[in-house]
This record gives sequence, C-alpha cells and structure tokens, in this order.
Amino acid sequence: MTITAERGARAVGKRPHTGPRRPRSQTSYALFLLPGVLAFLAVIIVPFLMNTGISFTEWSGIGSPKWTGLDNYRQLLDDSEFWASFRHSLFMVVAMAVVPTMIGLVLAAALFDYIGKHFGSRTAAVLRACFYLPQVLPIAVAGIVWSWILAPDNGSLNALLKAVGLGSWQQDWLGDPDVALYSVMGVMVWVQIGFPLVVFMAGLQRVDPQLYEAAELDGAGWWRRFWHITLPQIRPEIYVVLTWCTVAALKVFGAVYVLTKGGPGGATDVPSYFSFTTFFEKTQAGYGAAISTVLTVIILLLAMVGLKLQTRAEDAEEGARA
Amino acid sequence: MLTARRRVVATAAVVLSGSLLLASCGGSDSGSSDGKTLKLWHYEGPDSAMGAAWNEAIKEFEAKHPGVKVKFEEKGFEQIQKTAPMVLNSSDAPDIMEYSKGNATAGLLSKQGLLTDLTPEVTKRGWDKKLSAGVQTISRYDANGIMGSGKWYGIPNYAEYTMVFYNKDLFKKYGIAEPKTFDDLTSAMDKFVAKGITPLANAGAEYMAQQYLYQLALSKADRSWVDKYELYKGKTDFHDAAWTYGATTFADWVKKGYISKTSSGTKSEDAGVSFIQGKNPILFSGSWWYGRFKTENKFDWGTFLWPGSNLTLGSGGNIWVVPRGSKNKDLAYDFIDITMSPKIQNLLGNKGGVPVAADPDAITDPQAKTLIADFNTLSQRDGLAFYPDWPVPGFYDTLISETQKLITGSEQPDAYLSALQKAYDQGVPKQ
Repeated sequence: MTITAERGARAVGKRPHTGPRRPRSQTSYALFLLPGVLAFLAVIIVPFLMNTGISFTEWSGIGSPKWTGLDNYRQLLDDSEFWASFRHSLFMVVAMAVVPTMIGLVLAAALFDYIGKHFGSRTAAVLRACFYLPQVLPIAVAGIVWSWILAPDNGSLNALLKAVGLGSWQQDWLGDPDVALYSVMGVMVWVQIGFPLVVFMAGLQRVDPQLYEAAELDGAGWWRRFWHITLPQIRPEIYVVLTWCTVAALKVFGAVYVLTKGGPGGATDVPSYFSFTTFFEKTQAGYGAAISTVLTVIILLLAMVGLKLQTRAEDAEEGARA
Repeated sequence: MLTARRRVVATAAVVLSGSLLLASCGGSDSGSSDGKTLKLWHYEGPDSAMGAAWNEAIKEFEAKHPGVKVKFEEKGFEQIQKTAPMVLNSSDAPDIMEYSKGNATAGLLSKQGLLTDLTPEVTKRGWDKKLSAGVQTISRYDANGIMGSGKWYGIPNYAEYTMVFYNKDLFKKYGIAEPKTFDDLTSAMDKFVAKGITPLANAGAEYMAQQYLYQLALSKADRSWVDKYELYKGKTDFHDAAWTYGATTFADWVKKGYISKTSSGTKSEDAGVSFIQGKNPILFSGSWWYGRFKTENKFDWGTFLWPGSNLTLGSGGNIWVVPRGSKNKDLAYDFIDITMSPKIQNLLGNKGGVPVAADPDAITDPQAKTLIADFNTLSQRDGLAFYPDWPVPGFYDTLISETQKLITGSEQPDAYLSALQKAYDQGVPKQ
C-alpha cells in the first residue's frame, strides 16, 4: 500500500545517520533517478523559472520583453477582476473538494458497508464504476454535453422541469450571472464524486472487519459505525483526497473554458482562465505570467499545508498506537 | 569502479535522460527548403467555399509545378490564433499560412518582423489592382502594426460582410411584410413579438451580440468615426451619440423581446441552428453563414443589407501571409497568385463565398449573384466598417463579457460604455 510505503520512507528519513558513508550500491542506484530528475527539471522547474522571469516584464509574447520589476504584481493587487476570479476559485474548492469528499464518504460507506454486504461485491463494484465514469470522460466532452443539458431554450434540464410541473424553476443556467457559477459548480460535483469514492472504498478495504463486528455486537447502528470507525480509520485517505481535489479546484480550467468561457460578464472566471486570456487574448504575457506564478505559489502552499496536516495526523495516530 | 553491467545501466540512463531533455525542448522540423515542397496551413473547413477553392488551388499549383508537392496541414482557427507568434518564431513555420487580419493579429506579427514584406510581389504581380481600397486596408500595416497603410504583409482572396438573413416563409405565415427600411424591420419585430416569437437569433457568449450592437452604432456613424475607432485616427469616445444609441437601443431591444433575455449564454452555433430550425425568423450575421444556410435551410429565405445604414461590419477575409522563416517564398507567391486567378475566384463565388476578383459573368448561381452584388454595393460606397473587437488585443472577450451583462440587465448602457472605454484606452497603442 502507498500509505505503508510512505510511512516506511519517512521512518528511514528519521533514522539518525550513524554510518560514516552510504553503501556504494545506493550511489549507483541514484543513477536511476537521473532521467526523472532531468525530465522534472526540463518540464516543471525550467518552465516555472522562465514563467517567473516573464512575470517581471512587460511583453506581448514576441519580440523583446521589457523589465518592469514588480509592476505586474502591484497591478495584480489592485485588479478587481483577478480577485473576483480568485473568489470564484473558492467556490470551486467547495464544489470540487468539500462537497465531493462529503458525498464520496457517505457513498463509499454505503456501497462498502451496505450494498456490498446485501447485494454482493459485484453490484458495489458496478455502482462504483458508474460513479467513476465522469472522471474517465474528457472534460471537453462532458462540458459540451452539459452545455446541451443546461441550454436555456431547448436544454433537457429545463424540458424536464417543465415536464414534471416545475416550469417556474427553469433557468438560464449558464447565461444568468446569478446562477452560472452554481451551475458550473454542480457540473464539477458530478465530475469529481468518483475520485473520492474510489479512494475511500480502497481505504475501507484495509479497515479491520473485527472493529465493525464488535461495534455491531455492542448495538452500534450504521451512522455510529460510520462516525466512530469509518471516518477515523480512513482519515489519511480523506487528507489525500482533500489536498488533491483542492489543488484541482484551484487550477480548474477545462470546464470553465468549455461551459462559459468565464462569463456571463466574468461571473465564472477563475484565475487559470484569467491568466490564459490575459496571456493569449490580450497578449499581455508578463501580466498573464504573474497571475499564473501567484496561482502556482498559492497551490504549492496549500499542498504543503495539506501534506503537513496529513503527516501530523498520521504521526499522532502512530503515537497513539505505540 | 563501476562494473561493466552498471556502466551499461548508467550509460542507458544518461542517454535516456538526454533524449527526454531534448524531447521536452521541442523537436525541430527539418523544414522544406528543397524547393520541392510547399508547406501550407489554413483553417477553412473542406466543405466551405474557401476550403473548396483552396483545395482546387492546391491541385492547380501542383499541376503547374511538376515535382513540387503541397504539404497541407489543416489547423483550427483557435490553434493558429493562439500559437502563431511562437510557431513563426521557430523553425517549424510553414511556407505560407492563412491568418487573421487586424492590428492585434497580423499587425502584431508584422511589427515584430515575423512576416515577409510582400510589397515588391504585390506590385510585380498586380495584386493591388485586383483589390478594392476597403479590402486593401487589412493587407497593409505600418511600422507600429496598424492596418491601413504601410507595407503589404497579407493578401486576402475573399471578402466578408454582414447582412440580415430572414425566413420568408415565416414572414408570409404571419402576414408580415418583408422589411425595406429600418422602421419596417422594427415593426416586423414587434409583430413577431406579439405572436410570441423572438424575432432575432442571438448569441451572447460569442461574437453575435456585440455585432448587433456595433451595427446599431454604425447606423449613426460615418467613415471618420470608424477610422477613429479602428485606425486610431483621433480619440474614440464611447459616450458619443453613435455608441450611446447602439448600447441603449440594444438594451431596449432586449426589454422589448426582440432579443431573448436567455441568449446571454448561447453560442453562435446555437443561434445559427435556431434560425435554420425556423425558431427565430431573423438573424444578422456574416457571409460565412451563407453556404451553410444554402445547404441546410428547409424554407424560403433571403438577405438584405442592414437598412438605414451606409456602414456595416465586414472586410477582406483572412489573409495569406508568408512567414519570415519561409524557405520557399517564391512557391508561396505562386500559390497566392493562383488563388487570385479567375478560375479559383469564380469557383469561390459559385460555392457561396465572396470573391474579390471574380468575373461577374462567370457566377451562375442566382443567390451567389445577389451576395456578390450586395458586396459590390457596399464596397463601392466604402461601407466596410471592420469588426468591433479589432482595435485592442483581448477586446473580443471584453465585448462579450460586457454585452452579456447588458443582455441580462445586470449593467446599464452607461456603465457598459464606461467599461468599454476603460478597456479600449488601456489597450489602444500609445502614439
């Protein structure tokens, strides 16, 4: 299991260096890291440093950039459009991390603990695959299909509402600035649910069944077992999912590009799309680079905080066991 | 010392790393500098009038250049739009490419020296004699990349302009007279609204909405107004009479139901399909829809120029440019020459395009004759007023976003115009 491997690696890392030098075999194995390290440098680090460099310039994307120091970052601080896009990102965190994690937890527990036991593991596996399907679908395809479903005049959602007598609930789902962000959030919840579900179901496999049996013998109902056994047992998975999904939410681009292009009137703009339009449409490469640099730093910080929290929780758990 | 086995492993690791690094830096195409291949990119669909004409031009070119092969790559409009500067700056540039006209596109590339100055060829081959003044505007760019004067950097082979497409059957069905004047048009729209039909097909998420608004402004404008806005020959005031009329009338049309309040999120394709399906009886858009409507409309339809306005949106079409790095420039010029020949121009016209140098007698299709005749009327009265998103890079997105607010009523015309002014002033070249 990944978790075990990570714990093992950390344990090695904590061990005091008592020996005078590493064995020769470790040095030669380091060569195997070389391709990965070089690829990482070429694909991640160098472009990131170049992007950061560009963010200190005024540049149209071609010709010679003009050094402007921190001007782009100063402009960013006062740019209401950027901060509005960042606020929308927080909504996306709710839609892509918080809500799917909560729904995923309940669904995983229900599939594992109820469906699996009463209808067989095959039924649970089929349902799990169904929930996971949106994750497999390219976001461009899913986005186009959802834009048909949510179309104001001939979209199937409005048609359905009308058919069941809820015509007053019909909306211009993607065209009304008061509704569009929530519509995109709804689509993203649908896209995301499969990921936490699969991770949590994998996590539940390693929970000792005796814990559930003992709880059942003690008369604990499903909710108490979920609250007192399932949740604490799969806490590491919850941290992983939350961190992963938060990062995904902060850099969400495809769905916004396909569904709304940031509109109407900027109501669904997010930093990655804002950076893209600034860079390519407005040909303000320096400013676009500054936006994506800030976004990268924010994502890195959040990822580090998430990993730290996860590590601390795991250490506390190990301490409690010891 | 490393053992022989480890040495092999180490060498393999270094070789793999090196190749990964090289791959990540981008491969380099050896190009086509042998004079035997013309590398050509364009983004016209094979079924469109231009696509058919360019395909024929390729055949003609290969017949006239034995031993030379045209290596055609069909690209997407967005693909070329977004990556052209980077591609043209690399060794992967094609020999000839279709590209968007305007200051923010071809102008920007010409300013950066990425395009070949075609002026000597234009004079030598007489292309300038074939293109009207209005169409030539988008071919020439000055040292600041501003269109209208300076050297020739692109050649358009077709033109485009906007018109009112209308469903004659629906007009007949509801007993509404076909409009001849602007008052007729608004009166017809009132009657459709009274019948519960939204008269105008619209798309707020793409170009269509802003083009309605710009057309309304153009009906109160003249050439100097357009020159100020598009060519920076003076200061543009978005609170002037024309812009104010455009914005307030557009907002009013939404209120009156001429334009659907729910069209703020719809795309141009949706609006086009809505017209084809007979849901909206009128659509105002460009000649690029003509071929599609000809094929797909199942009803009697017609077109007319926007009533009560000398100016309408339009220009020469996209242009052929020869990248600075082209390795076969003479072949590229020969290809342009073939696309300007009567044979290709006539084919373009008969397929529903707007040719710039066709023989009127050779256009046999009656609808195509009307299309070209309307263009000639427009061209002769110097009526091509370009497009509203041209003057400033990124203005397209600004116009979409702000016009959406106007449709949903979340912004008033005055605030709308102020927002446009701010974005325009920020992006307009400092002179």
